[in-house]
Amino acid sequence: MILQVVYCNHQSAKLGVREKLAFSSHDQLRAAYHRFRDDFPESEVVVLSTCNRVELYTAHEDPADAPTQEQIARFFADFHQIPVNEFVNDLLEQRGPEAVKHLFEVTSSLDSMVLGEPQIVNQVKEAYRLAQENNMCGPLTHALFQGAIRVSSRVRTETGLERGRVSIASVAVGDFGKSIFNRFDDKTVLIIGAGEMAEETLRYLCDEGAKDIVVVNRNLERAEQLAAAWGGRARSFSELDKWLGEADVIVSTTGADQPIVSAEKFFKARADHMETSPVFILDLGAPRDFDPAISEIDDNVFLFDIDHLEATCEQNRKTRTGEVQKAKRIIDKESEKFMHEVYHRATGPIVKRLREEWHDIREEEVQRLFNRLGHLTESDRQAIERSVERIINRLLHPPLEKLKNEAREGTPHGLLDALKRLFALDD
Amino acid sequence: MNVTLFCIFASYLVAFFFEIARLYRSRTLMALLSWCFVAAGLLAHTTYLINRSAETNLPPLLSSSHDWLLVLAWVAIVFYMFLSYVERANFLGVFVLPLVLILVGTSRFVSNEANVMFSGQRVGKFAVEAAIRNWTMIHATSLLFGIVGVLLGFVLSMMYLFQHRRLKSQLSATSRFPLPNLEKLGSLNWWTVIISVPLLTIGMVTGIILGFLSRQGPAAISFTNPNIIIVLFAWLGMVAFYLWLLKTRHPLGKQVAWMTAWAFGFLLLTIIGLQLLTGEGAHSFSTGRNEQGGLLDDTELAEKNQVDHLFLISINGGADR
Repeated sequence: MILQVVYCNHQSAKLGVREKLAFSSHDQLRAAYHRFRDDFPESEVVVLSTCNRVELYTAHEDPADAPTQEQIARFFADFHQIPVNEFVNDLLEQRGPEAVKHLFEVTSSLDSMVLGEPQIVNQVKEAYRLAQENNMCGPLTHALFQGAIRVSSRVRTETGLERGRVSIASVAVGDFGKSIFNRFDDKTVLIIGAGEMAEETLRYLCDEGAKDIVVVNRNLERAEQLAAAWGGRARSFSELDKWLGEADVIVSTTGADQPIVSAEKFFKARADHMETSPVFILDLGAPRDFDPAISEIDDNVFLFDIDHLEATCEQNRKTRTGEVQKAKRIIDKESEKFMHEVYHRATGPIVKRLREEWHDIREEEVQRLFNRLGHLTESDRQAIERSVERIINRLLHPPLEKLKNEAREGTPHGLLDALKRLFALDD
Repeated sequence: MNVTLFCIFASYLVAFFFEIARLYRSRTLMALLSWCFVAAGLLAHTTYLINRSAETNLPPLLSSSHDWLLVLAWVAIVFYMFLSYVERANFLGVFVLPLVLILVGTSRFVSNEANVMFSGQRVGKFAVEAAIRNWTMIHATSLLFGIVGVLLGFVLSMMYLFQHRRLKSQLSATSRFPLPNLEKLGSLNWWTVIISVPLLTIGMVTGIILGFLSRQGPAAISFTNPNIIIVLFAWLGMVAFYLWLLKTRHPLGKQVAWMTAWAFGFLLLTIIGLQLLTGEGAHSFSTGRNEQGGLLDDTELAEKNQVDHLFLISINGGADR
């Protein structure tokens, strides 16, 4: 049995690479799952694709069935139609306990750009749900993801990781937005997209006093819901250009697979407002929603994307080193416990069969003995049965104890194989 | 208490080093140490000015170029301490302390002899009238606060440009070197121009009045002095900038910051440069002494004073060195 993850994240790859490998819509992800199943039919797979990471978790009962890192890189290249050499050096791989620890850290937001941010748990849950929906999960991935969600909950309860400024949105508003503007109550805020990240950003902007809020989304109904929740106005996507021209703060969080605002479009939209008032653009989409060239249009345009938040997030991380250590200790214990359970599960059927076989032999031989010695009283028979039972248990104890100890370090394939052969335990 | 210029300079210099150290070491400790050295410097600075005032029998504003520059530095430090108390997390000192050090350093190289117009050394026919003294006080005070505004505007524009560059480069704007936001810096910058240019104008107008009044006194001012002409052009540039700022409805923050940096920088350079080049500044008063060090009589003094003087009369009441 083997668990592995092949991934790239904000630490290993630039946004430019991550956005090429991302699975930005459910349809795209569904197509990816179907293709993966065709290529690797024995695999259990869960894909986690967020703005900060693209991670592919696989699990196999037989390690021989597991795809290699090269095969997974080839899968990414074929699916996204990009050359392998553009990203292969940015891909990382973890196997066994390290892969489990990695997922636990990701879900607990220790691996997030903004330490302690809460969105990642929902993103992991959503990835797990979509994998289930596409029938890509099996016993190992079920155990792994359910364990990750449970561990994340424990980390959040037992540490102070979530205290303070923790989300990408809060850092973006608190660090960059407030470095440009002194107040937000006299600014027009344009939100493009109506997802969880949009709502999160809006919450921080409203905390800072933002009042004039316009939500633009392809799905007007979603835009209306979000606008109603925060006292803003919903507008259809066709009005985007108009509001691009009028907004002081623009937050974009769509799942579009290519930029929705080109430099030319932005320049035209702001033609009447150029060189008058600054505009703060927060592009939280991956792939990016705004063409990076927009930043060069004018001195008053301040465009930031996910990667630009990294320095601030690193500072955030440093201030909470103690909490990180506490969280890591929890994760170390939990991943060890998880692996032990997984290995125990792997050895369980052998142990059970061994016990059953020996029990059957004991039953058979004791019965034969009782048939020959008919004068035995009931108490004699019980004493003999207990005695034979003890002998069997004592004989079984050393190999089973050895198996249990070996299982702490990983699936003891050699020992399991030896037991099968020695005691003729057929598959 | 015997306080030297070196004590003041050294205190501010150490404070500046602690400000720089704040970027790399424990912020709270370094900020506290920096603040302590600024406070020590301010105490020494105040004592020095009180001693000078007692020595010359004149308020420091009217005494000499040396004292005037030190008063300017003193006001800048008081402003700095107030602002750093209000905006504790900011690194104003990195911008303000070097300018204060330049002012204190420059004061070492300019005349420190008391203004002959008010020194009390010459009494009788050419004694300074109370009216001239009052006008000079207004002149010196308005110029002082005008130039403090110029200093502040220069610092703010530098901070604005630094912050703007950092944000355009998409670097973290608050992490190691926190500065106020662009909107606040732009607004404060605008107000420093709006307030300091009228103050400088009051200083110029009272200077012209004093120029005429001085003809009745021992130190007549010549309007054709090149120093005065340079300063006059700098002032005209400032007025033009001021009018542009009032006329433009939505001036671009970065444009205002650049213009303030250039205009205010030029004015500061002119004032400090003139002080250093001439040892006196825009004015040059006669000491009322002859080459042998004896007092001139009224006729000799009147002849000797067929010289300069207009802008910053009070800056240089000091003698030819």
